[in-house]
Amino acid sequence: MSAEDNAFRELIDEYVVECLPLAERAADALVDVERRRRAGTGGDELLGPVKGWLHTVKGNSAMMGLTPIQESAHALEDLCAALIERGGDDGDGLLALLVEGGGLLVDQVRGAAAGGTVEGATGWLARAAAAARGAANGNGKAADRRRSERRRGAEADGAANVVRVDFRRLDTLLEVLGEGLIEQAAVAEAYRRVARRAGSTPGLPELDHAILALEKTMKRLEGVVMETRLLPISSVFGRFPRLLRGVAEGVGKRVRLETSGGETAMDKAVLDRLGEPLLHLLTNAVVHGIETPAERRAAGKPDEGALRLAAVSRSGRVAIELADDGRGLNERRILDRAVELGLTSAGEESDPHALIFQPGFSTADRVSELAGRGVGLDVVAAAVRALGGTIAVRSRPGEGSAFLLDIPLTLAIVRSLIVEVDQERYAVPIAQVAATVRAEPQALHEINHRGVAVWRGGLIQVTDGGALLGTGARSDRGRRFYVVISSGGRRRGILVDRLIGHQDVVVKGLDPSLGRPDVVSGTTILGDGRVACILDPVRILEQRVPA
Amino acid sequence: MAHAFLFVDDSALHHQMYRLIFSRGALAGNTLYHATNGREGYALLAQHPELALVFLDLNMPEMNGLEVLARRAAERLHPQVPIVLVTTESTEDDEVRARSAGAWDYLRKPFQPADVERLVARALAEAAGSAA
Repeated sequence: MSAEDNAFRELIDEYVVECLPLAERAADALVDVERRRRAGTGGDELLGPVKGWLHTVKGNSAMMGLTPIQESAHALEDLCAALIERGGDDGDGLLALLVEGGGLLVDQVRGAAAGGTVEGATGWLARAAAAARGAANGNGKAADRRRSERRRGAEADGAANVVRVDFRRLDTLLEVLGEGLIEQAAVAEAYRRVARRAGSTPGLPELDHAILALEKTMKRLEGVVMETRLLPISSVFGRFPRLLRGVAEGVGKRVRLETSGGETAMDKAVLDRLGEPLLHLLTNAVVHGIETPAERRAAGKPDEGALRLAAVSRSGRVAIELADDGRGLNERRILDRAVELGLTSAGEESDPHALIFQPGFSTADRVSELAGRGVGLDVVAAAVRALGGTIAVRSRPGEGSAFLLDIPLTLAIVRSLIVEVDQERYAVPIAQVAATVRAEPQALHEINHRGVAVWRGGLIQVTDGGALLGTGARSDRGRRFYVVISSGGRRRGILVDRLIGHQDVVVKGLDPSLGRPDVVSGTTILGDGRVACILDPVRILEQRVPA
Repeated sequence: MAHAFLFVDDSALHHQMYRLIFSRGALAGNTLYHATNGREGYALLAQHPELALVFLDLNMPEMNGLEVLARRAAERLHPQVPIVLVTTESTEDDEVRARSAGAWDYLRKPFQPADVERLVARALAEAAGSAA
């Protein structure tokens, strides 16, 4: 019986209300057991209650038809039993498996409304089963119990509507979809050519209808395929509370993390690359943002610092806000440090909020082991931009800081502006296109051999597309347009010959024989069958490219 | 005719599930009593000899299902009230132990509304048979 057609489906909220605290308590206790064992202060007495909580989660999950959660809870229970039987001996790393599984279980319960499947759960389950089997060798009773359970589990599985699919298959599916989209665009383009030449010909309107219908179906197919790749962001958020507790303890602080919007779904490929930067920001907030309890008390704040992590989805993108109620950015110190590092000069007006994302920037007097293993906010910013996202910070001294991230839902299909430079077509991701401007000769100037243009009342550098992409120098007649790309507060104009239009392009890997990889992030195939490079505005803006 | 049922379970979710099952079809309109631990459940059983059937969870803090059955047997409290022991997993041994402790039948999680309906129908039929 699967979760969707389960008789108690309507009680899913009640299920989460009851099981999430149990799963969290179990996961936290398992972390405690590990810590206490390492410190030689016992901890095993916690395993009994943990087993009880897991048992309840297992039973409730079974009732709700949430087989993946049931299986995880069951495997955890088995591992607890094996560890208890072992006493102090943990040669097989059972405890590490338990801690990992505890985190997974929390994520699964949190995502129960979506069926409770979480990335990594299947792999963990296999390892846990192997470890528990190994540990239970010579224990006939436990093995019997497992066998009878497994029989029952298999019966439940047979009736389930939920199938597990290797994510690589979804990648293949996406690839095939991409080819379909390209072929569909090719058919549409061929039709337009024929229709232009033939005028009104019998059969053409029917063909037009058929092509429109195909377009609609492909759009739907695209939606369905993209949806199967989506996972709730809670699969990333879920592990933060436990990780942060350790960090906070390590630096003598007290923090509480509140998350919201965990149900917001994102492409798994994006989520996989989002966890590290977010964890880094959170760790930073605990180490640098939140004050010690004594400092907080002196400032009239509660001992416990508050961290808030919220996700909201907005038309194809997800806004993530990470706020703390700590001391806020020390702007004086940031500016001093920037001068020291030569990122800005003493008298120069600089935005301290933008400086902290500059490569090599850090105000910490020594690299804190916890704050990110020597990695600064510049690396976080680079990771976010590599996802086609943006990052900004808001801060008030004494009141706290908030980091605002804006990330695309998916990396696989990118809405792009198609432009032409020297007869070659290129895709520019719309997310980083600030404007397209007609290149009036009187608005373009040359200063120190660099092209600049007056745009929205300021000067921006303008680079020739041909020089940038290595197809040739500025043509004699001059380019007709420039595209203003923008990311992380930086802007630059790129001169192009033609603006072709907007299109959803399917991102393909980069063929090394094509283009200059330092300004190109991938390729795509356009409706006319031509291969087009997808420009990487983020990298173009980060580099000093020829004017 | 309305009957009375008692549910003893430490899980609020399970009480909701029973409510859901007993809100529909033939099971609607009965009197339902709920207890969240064995001690409370035993007290309710003592007050309600008219109970048609009791659903008793095995795993509970403060007096588990087997302890409730054992005390009921020892005190010979309303032996006519059938008690179904509800468990998440069990071996044949456990089931034998439950029956010898005085459980009328056994219900294994995960169960479906139909399983509960069948047990109720059988309990009511047996009660009618023994009364006749």
